[in-house]
Amino acid sequence: MVMTSAAVPGFLPRAGLDRLLDLLAADGRRVIGPTVGQGAVVYDEIHHASDLPAGWTADQAPGSYRLRQTGTERQFDYAVGPTSWKHETFPPRVPLTIGRRVNGQVTFEDALPAAPPVAFLGVRGCEIAALLTQDAVLARGIAVDRDYAARRAAALIIAVECVTPADTCFCTSMGTGPEVTTGFDLAMTELDDGFVVRAGSPAGERLLERLELTAADPGRTTAAQDAVAAARERMGDPVPTAGLPARLIAAAESPQWAEIAERCLACANCTLVCPTCFCTGVTQVSDLDGFEATAERTWDSCFTLGFSKVAGGNFRPRVQDRYRQWLTHKFATWWDQFGMSGCVGCGRCITWCPVGIDVRAELMAVAPPPPALKAAVGIIEPARPTTVKSVPPAASAALLTAPIPLPAVEELPPTYARTFVAERRRETVDTVTLRFDTSDPDLLAGRPGQFVMAALPAFSAAPISVSRFHRDGLELTIRAAGAATRALCELRRGDSVGLRGPMGRGWPVDAAEGHDVVIVTGGIGLAPLRPLVDALLADRTRFREIRLLYGARSPADRLYVEELSELAARPDLDVGQIVDRAGPDWFGRVGVVTGLFDQGHLDGPNAVAYVCGPERMMTATVDVLRDRGVSDDRIFVTLERHMECGVGLCGHCQLGKSFVCRDGPVFSLAEMGPAFGREGL
Amino acid sequence: MVSGSQSGALRDTWFGARLPEAELGRLQAHARSASYEAGAEILREGDLTRDLGIVVQGRVALRLRVPERGMTTVLTVEAGEIIGWSAVVPPHRSTSTVIAVVPTDLMLLDGAALRTELDADPVLAAAVYRSLLEALADRLTGTRMQLLDLFSQHRDEPW
Repeated sequence: MVMTSAAVPGFLPRAGLDRLLDLLAADGRRVIGPTVGQGAVVYDEIHHASDLPAGWTADQAPGSYRLRQTGTERQFDYAVGPTSWKHETFPPRVPLTIGRRVNGQVTFEDALPAAPPVAFLGVRGCEIAALLTQDAVLARGIAVDRDYAARRAAALIIAVECVTPADTCFCTSMGTGPEVTTGFDLAMTELDDGFVVRAGSPAGERLLERLELTAADPGRTTAAQDAVAAARERMGDPVPTAGLPARLIAAAESPQWAEIAERCLACANCTLVCPTCFCTGVTQVSDLDGFEATAERTWDSCFTLGFSKVAGGNFRPRVQDRYRQWLTHKFATWWDQFGMSGCVGCGRCITWCPVGIDVRAELMAVAPPPPALKAAVGIIEPARPTTVKSVPPAASAALLTAPIPLPAVEELPPTYARTFVAERRRETVDTVTLRFDTSDPDLLAGRPGQFVMAALPAFSAAPISVSRFHRDGLELTIRAAGAATRALCELRRGDSVGLRGPMGRGWPVDAAEGHDVVIVTGGIGLAPLRPLVDALLADRTRFREIRLLYGARSPADRLYVEELSELAARPDLDVGQIVDRAGPDWFGRVGVVTGLFDQGHLDGPNAVAYVCGPERMMTATVDVLRDRGVSDDRIFVTLERHMECGVGLCGHCQLGKSFVCRDGPVFSLAEMGPAFGREGL
Repeated sequence: MVSGSQSGALRDTWFGARLPEAELGRLQAHARSASYEAGAEILREGDLTRDLGIVVQGRVALRLRVPERGMTTVLTVEAGEIIGWSAVVPPHRSTSTVIAVVPTDLMLLDGAALRTELDADPVLAAAVYRSLLEALADRLTGTRMQLLDLFSQHRDEPW
């Protein structure tokens, strides 16, 4: 009997597997599947059924993986190993663009490789969930990773249901397995003599037809279902997930994080083996002469020290900050961002943790379920006494609560608009303002508070706030602080640079209509506020009193000195300046920027505040603003976070439910809630 | 310096406005006003601080001498704020050099007389010390923020 219907499973004898592989090869598909290599079952290219790990399984435990022979002919009796399908759909290194720079002129060309047809053989339920999870992040959001989308579209998914879970598995708790119910083209369940096969897509149905299988008899179908059910039974429900996201967020200040950090090596193994972790950086691979460089998208990890590094320092210097970031993103804020869990319960992070940290146990230690639930499900207890203390309710509010409006679709790799330096003006000893001429409609349509990614070949693209918009161009004020910004500062008139943007959500100018406006800033923080001042003054009658309070390190460190004098001379604008230290030739104020509030009246309940500066300066300013009666929904701050992509795909600037690059960088305090100024976020 | 025994109204200052009425009258007797030209030195670091001053109008700079850098202004004091707290707190030596950066009017309270009054009158002492403590706490908080040097350049950056 020939199978033609997706509704009726077929039976593929074990000896028929090569026929399946031949059909896939005939379709021009490279087949990736399980094989024994490097002492583990890994995913690699499969040419014949004999490449599969027949008779092999692996014993897995926290920090432990050992291959073991089973003495059977079964080819899929292992639980997932160290590799995952993201190696194929989201490779560790992908060239994005090739940039060239000759005689001050830059060009960028797309360097994405082709995505030839491929078939994944042996995809587990948890792994399908992982693919769907990365789809949501990389291909279904408002920004799309083109390389990922192409590789996913080129992949045929042949699932093999898991009947041999490892002791580290918890797909049952995460709702991702062991049954395969969605996201596949073909699904097979292994029996001793072959496979029960069903189709899950038109492509799978066509393949099934060409396999010309006999229908699986009811005995085999039942045996297959029983085997999967037995696997489910064996795993139980080790991680009670009901209410877990809220419990985790409530535990943000738990002492348990520091305890885990004593064991965690921050080695990033967990994020590398995780099939959903998607954070990337951009690495520049340069010619020796420096004229040409390929920008490569490379896997990154929130466990690395440099991951959250920014111009002023590092937002997560401690291992406990980084572990908390990873765990709360996976199990809590991923829900806020993508409507799903970031964990699929595959257990890889448990097995491949060199010190055997068991995420199941840590979840229960950091965010224990209510006693009744705990008793009902028989959870895995940490293998050591816990020191969890109760967390005050103040810490329990959601990190970022307000809905975030979404900007337009963006894509990776980026396309840069070649833009020429029209004017260069030195502001301070290490800061210059560059004026660029451009006719790029996107760049010209920017709004106050937005930023651009500025790219020079061989240097990391730098996120730079636009410091002024012109009818035919824009200005960037750049401090030479690292290699890329130094190179940007050295640009001369006529040189070109790649600009992309403007990006992010800027200052809400209209929010100030009919209100007093107070703008508080320090150092280079004045740059992103300058277009706001321009916008307010361009439509001056819409606003009541406007005060600009500016702090700097010293008089010589102030930006736009002449412009500030001109502004100060205006009758319709109150400008206060203060510096941290000064020589005897300075007749202005010395002290902290909040000291400027002491002079002059501030009608707090009627005021709107815009604040930009180092986060510690902003928290001090916010304290004063709140004290004067300015409400949180009228205090706007701009956050600085590490940004590699600028469109919410690289993961670096994730904060609560937001990507700062995409959903910010401007937020109201009401939107941020307790996340504002909190250590380690 | 132009100085006179004829004082302005202490009650019109931030410091005076917080004092109980009876005590205000007594302190007023020890108050006198003084005016300084821009650039005038009001106090020198290390010298005896004879008076507690309240800036009525103008701006003064508190400066420290750093031999290799010269005089560095670490704080300016604006109208309504106090200078010369060391007139009240031992060892009564000025912790900075105080310069009028613009024409400045001060109200000065004689330190020795003020200390005598404070020793004799716990109610006055409570009011004066509280005001002083608030002013100094504010200054300490600000100094800490300046100590963080938040706007300084970092050379170890990702971009």
